[in-house]
Amino acid sequence: MLELVNVTKTYPDGPVALDSVSMRMDKGEFVFVVGQSGAGKTTLTRLLLCEEKPTSGSIYIQNKDITKLRPRHIPALRRSMGIVFQDFRLMPNWTVEENVAFAMIVVEAAPKQIKRRVAEVLDLVHLTHRRKQTPGQLSGGEQQRVALARAIVNSPDLLIADEPTGNLDPDTSWDIVKLILDINRIGTTVLMVTHAEQIVDRLRKRVVTLQNGRVVRDEEGGLYHG
Amino acid sequence: MVKARTFGYFFKSSGRSLARNSWMTIASISTVAISLLVLGVFLLLAVNVGVAAQHMESQIEVTAYLLDMPRDHVQRLEQQVRSISGVSEVYHVSKDEAWERLLEWYGNDRTFLAGWEEENPLRESFEIRAESPELVSEIAGRVAGLSGVEEVVFGRELIEQILAITSAIRMVGTGLMIGLALAAMFIIANTIRIAVFSRRREISIMRYVGATKWFIRWPFIIEGWVLGLIGGVVASSILAWGYYLAVRYLLRVMPFWPLIAPWPFLQQLALGMLGIGSLIGIAGSALSLRRYLNV
Repeated sequence: MLELVNVTKTYPDGPVALDSVSMRMDKGEFVFVVGQSGAGKTTLTRLLLCEEKPTSGSIYIQNKDITKLRPRHIPALRRSMGIVFQDFRLMPNWTVEENVAFAMIVVEAAPKQIKRRVAEVLDLVHLTHRRKQTPGQLSGGEQQRVALARAIVNSPDLLIADEPTGNLDPDTSWDIVKLILDINRIGTTVLMVTHAEQIVDRLRKRVVTLQNGRVVRDEEGGLYHG
Repeated sequence: MVKARTFGYFFKSSGRSLARNSWMTIASISTVAISLLVLGVFLLLAVNVGVAAQHMESQIEVTAYLLDMPRDHVQRLEQQVRSISGVSEVYHVSKDEAWERLLEWYGNDRTFLAGWEEENPLRESFEIRAESPELVSEIAGRVAGLSGVEEVVFGRELIEQILAITSAIRMVGTGLMIGLALAAMFIIANTIRIAVFSRRREISIMRYVGATKWFIRWPFIIEGWVLGLIGGVVASSILAWGYYLAVRYLLRVMPFWPLIAPWPFLQQLALGMLGIGSLIGIAGSALSLRRYLNV
């Protein structure tokens, strides 16, 4: 599903952001990526989204080296992924429904299909009753659920969650994590970058620890701190 | 490729953006309209002056004013003029006919001419046409040498001057138009830059969910195009209305003045202006997208 081979990323005048990182994820897997600020987590997600190219090394998604992807093929790659961020990134003036539908409009889905699918994912994240409201009228947890709905509305193979609970209180965080687990159970591969020690320790999933741009630990059923 | 039905979405989102930045929208449309209006006014002037010059050229080539002399002398002189090689036509304008023409010129309003009626001050003349324009100056010289001819007015010089003025009007108009079109283009580019900026959040979300480059660009291209097109509509409406008023006025005060008919000339002009306006808009938008939208 996803494989990084000796991926190195250096920025001009900066330290090495990623240093010969190699890792593999199988289809349907759930992986936590942990590490301190500056460990290279953000760089990793940026490389996966093809926002940047690595300085050296290869990244394979569905057996295709995305580092050799032509710019016009990047949109197709991104359609196979869903992404949620710490800060939700919703359009403040649009309703919940519009925010979710937007991801389908952008890929030019048929209006009928958009209507049906949006209703389906809003039900999945338990926001059907909020569909006509704008993000400002929702709590943080609800906003992140909208973002999750948007991320999965196009049925991606891979969900990248970049600190999805970073702005949320512990209880709300659990709601979000449970939803992500549900999404994983449906068959979506999940890569979750996080600082939430409690969540990592309780779920005992595979944990990849980054430190100064290197993978220092990759452990099945691991804890936050080794 | 972007699907046809998606253009509905593009137009909606362009419209929202134009409404949101209403001041920039108005500024952009105004500058496009002004630059096109200048182009149109100069074009109308140049074309009409050109038409008038041609008209004059076809009517009279050389006018020879005569000294007072008996009628049989005039007839003999006319024979002499006719015998000059290259002369194709000679028309004798009597003092009375000259008076009638003057009256007509003033729209038969005798107040201008009051006091002159007792003693007609106008001269008799011959209006001489040449077989070809190159012969005119030679004919004029020979007619001037005949006794009884007081003065020869060589219409060609006047016509050449008018034609020179026409080309000057064209050049000034084109220069102004290019300058103003560039200004309009940059203002549109700036409007689009603001639109891109105010929608950067939406654009970044679009990228993450896999929008293609053209999906992101189209609404801005449409926005620039609409600005240019509306500018063209405004300019051609003002111009058509203005020309209509001008024609109506001129027909009343100077009925002999040959004006170009509003139809279909104005229609062609309007179509041209819409086309140029659209080009300005799309170019301005493309300019901005190249610099500020790296997708």
